[in-house]
Amino acid sequence: MEFGNSGSLSEDGIHVDMDRLKKGEVNLGTSIMAVTFKDGVILGADSRTTTGAYIANRVTDKLTPVHDTIWCCRSGSAADTQAVADIVQYQLSLFAMTSGKPPTTQTAAAIFQEICYANKDRLSAGLIIAGWDERHGGQVYSIPLGGSLHKQSYAIGGSGSTYIYGFCDANWKEGMEEQDAVNFVKEALKEAIKWDGSSGGVIRMVVLTAKGADRHLYLPDTDYSVRHDA
Amino acid sequence: MPGFDFSNYNRNAALHARGVPLPKATSTGTTIVGCIFDGGVVIAADTRATSGPIVADKNCEKLHYISPNIWCAGAGTAADTEFTTALISSQLELHSLSTGRKPRVVTCMTLLKQHLFRYQGHIGAYLVVAGVDPTGTHLFTVHAHGSTDKLPYVTMGSGSLAAMSVFETQWKPKMTQDEAVELCSQAIQSGIFNDLGSGSNVDVAVITGEKTVLKRGYVRPNERSQKLKSYIFPKGTTAVLNEKIIRKEDLGNYVSVHELSTTEEGGDKMEVDT
Amino acid sequence: MFSQNPIMNGPNYSFNDAPPKANAPEGARQHRFDPYTDNGGSTLAIAGADFTIMAGDTRLTSGYSINSRYHPKVFKIGGTTADQHDATLVLSVVGFAADGEALKERLDTICKMYRYRHGKPMSVKACAQRLSTILYQKRFFPYYAYAILGGLDDEGRGAVYSYDPVGSYEREQCRAGGAAASLIMPFLDNQVNFKNQYVPGSGEGHALQERERNPLSRGAVEILVKDAFDGAVERHIEVGDGLQMMVITKNGIEEILQPLKRD
Repeated sequence: MEFGNSGSLSEDGIHVDMDRLKKGEVNLGTSIMAVTFKDGVILGADSRTTTGAYIANRVTDKLTPVHDTIWCCRSGSAADTQAVADIVQYQLSLFAMTSGKPPTTQTAAAIFQEICYANKDRLSAGLIIAGWDERHGGQVYSIPLGGSLHKQSYAIGGSGSTYIYGFCDANWKEGMEEQDAVNFVKEALKEAIKWDGSSGGVIRMVVLTAKGADRHLYLPDTDYSVRHDA
Repeated sequence: MPGFDFSNYNRNAALHARGVPLPKATSTGTTIVGCIFDGGVVIAADTRATSGPIVADKNCEKLHYISPNIWCAGAGTAADTEFTTALISSQLELHSLSTGRKPRVVTCMTLLKQHLFRYQGHIGAYLVVAGVDPTGTHLFTVHAHGSTDKLPYVTMGSGSLAAMSVFETQWKPKMTQDEAVELCSQAIQSGIFNDLGSGSNVDVAVITGEKTVLKRGYVRPNERSQKLKSYIFPKGTTAVLNEKIIRKEDLGNYVSVHELSTTEEGGDKMEVDT
Repeated sequence: MFSQNPIMNGPNYSFNDAPPKANAPEGARQHRFDPYTDNGGSTLAIAGADFTIMAGDTRLTSGYSINSRYHPKVFKIGGTTADQHDATLVLSVVGFAADGEALKERLDTICKMYRYRHGKPMSVKACAQRLSTILYQKRFFPYYAYAILGGLDDEGRGAVYSYDPVGSYEREQCRAGGAAASLIMPFLDNQVNFKNQYVPGSGEGHALQERERNPLSRGAVEILVKDAFDGAVERHIEVGDGLQMMVITKNGIEEILQPLKRD
């Protein structure tokens, strides 16, 4: 496998080589998002993974737990994001065992950032970390390609997110009720799936609150209107 | 030093820069599939190996042993699938011996993905991992770059699209063993007949909680046709410019030969630690 | 993609053919018009004493896909009507199917015009020369097709003319073309022209006597063709599905279709 040398040093000085997604690599051309609401956070994602034009998995789970109530949404290379999430999951379980208390979302996000930044030249991973902890309640962190860390009230990511910046900006409200937040995520992802060819399949969601993690599943058969057992 | 030998790297890079292409590895441009059924899992593969457009092997084995209850179907570079599965099989056996537990499919899958991720896709092994362990029945795909998927039915290799079209139209939940074997066989045959990279026979492995059954040549839809004419030449047809016969007793003049008596204790017996 | 067999055709590289690079500006991508595809398949022609047999498989491929299991590569040429019932010549083409089709249509039209104007069919010799001219006219944008023309010459003997894509041609006893040419041709050399076969016990070293060449019967050639393709199907992925044979005799052209392996 040869790496391309077509990277361009654009005006902002960030070296982005799009050939970094190697030939034949499994790609999460994705729509992912996470939002905070009154009682915690909700993560949402489509379920499509592709190799070129072929859908390698139409029911992918891009919402990955790294601790009981700290999860992440993965976009970019499937191999890279799985490897990073596996490392963080290990680090957090070690942290929980040695300190005797669950890690905070911020801690998790910091570990993610450490890995993504230190290996920025080798990874194509766009991650959203969302979690609920006793001290801070629901929080959302975004780690885009370069390995920077951004705390946000809500975050969207993946190729499909470009289509829903306007929707999210227009419809986002601080401190929503759970059902309103679920609907917000669902409607946003429906749009992203509709317009983005590399997103599709089912909509998966995880609601993280003091009560723990609750999984949602919505199928395209019913236009994502009925909640199914995950 | 463990691992790969890179001592020819610089020479090969210099040759490559001057236009010499890399040598072609035997690739199993392949169809491999897997499907879970009630009480176990079945994996299947075709048996063609190719080098470019030439058929390198008409009846190769693409179903690899990992442990008695875990088997692996491999696509991609033939050498990579063989060595990677053998390596992980060995690690899993040692792990099983030291823990005193049966090997698990997730363990196998994790070892594979971490090994493949370390080599960033340079090890071209595309695998279907299947097995039954104390935690249940499992089926995974592992891509060369190290990503994994968990699904009730999977396909991989150049014939994966042809095979998946069979699964996507015929698959149903809660199948019996016979139904699953038949479905996998049909999926492989779809690859054999519609994908040029796949061909010859169907191999099937059925893994249940009790045992694993490997069905080599489960379906043989491509038996070689009988030649219409005999192509045996009369002795002496080939021109011989000169002839030199070395008899067995004179072999010692060219190589050192030590006859090992078969009655003698030892010989090909292995020494075992007491 | 698979136009050449890397193992059979020499070292398959040249130091002079090193890909030009490094002078392209950073991030530049090369866009090129590439109108050719290799559609695989193989053809074969053998000339007998008073007949010619032209054959080809009927598979049409691109990459690892089969586009058609029945796409003929062997055509009757120069009949007075569309059904070619009174044709006397046969053309086979492998390589890029679209160019093959275009070439066939062109040559057929020319042969038809000749027959209309002169009141007699074109001779193989004349048609062979004309085909060469057609190919060379497109010297710098060639028909990507390896053609073989078959018929009976003025003396009624079997005639086979084989071509390269730009019109170089030669009359031969037998010829294999296309994807599995490198697999079939050595077999033909050995079984048609008895190459590397010597009369047992006829001499020592270089003084050996070659096996006498005698013309093969029609039945023997048909068997050779079938066996050649059965062999090619076993080892070449682009050959298979069906075998189409045209037997040209003074009584007309007989077409024979036989199944081949489909994997």
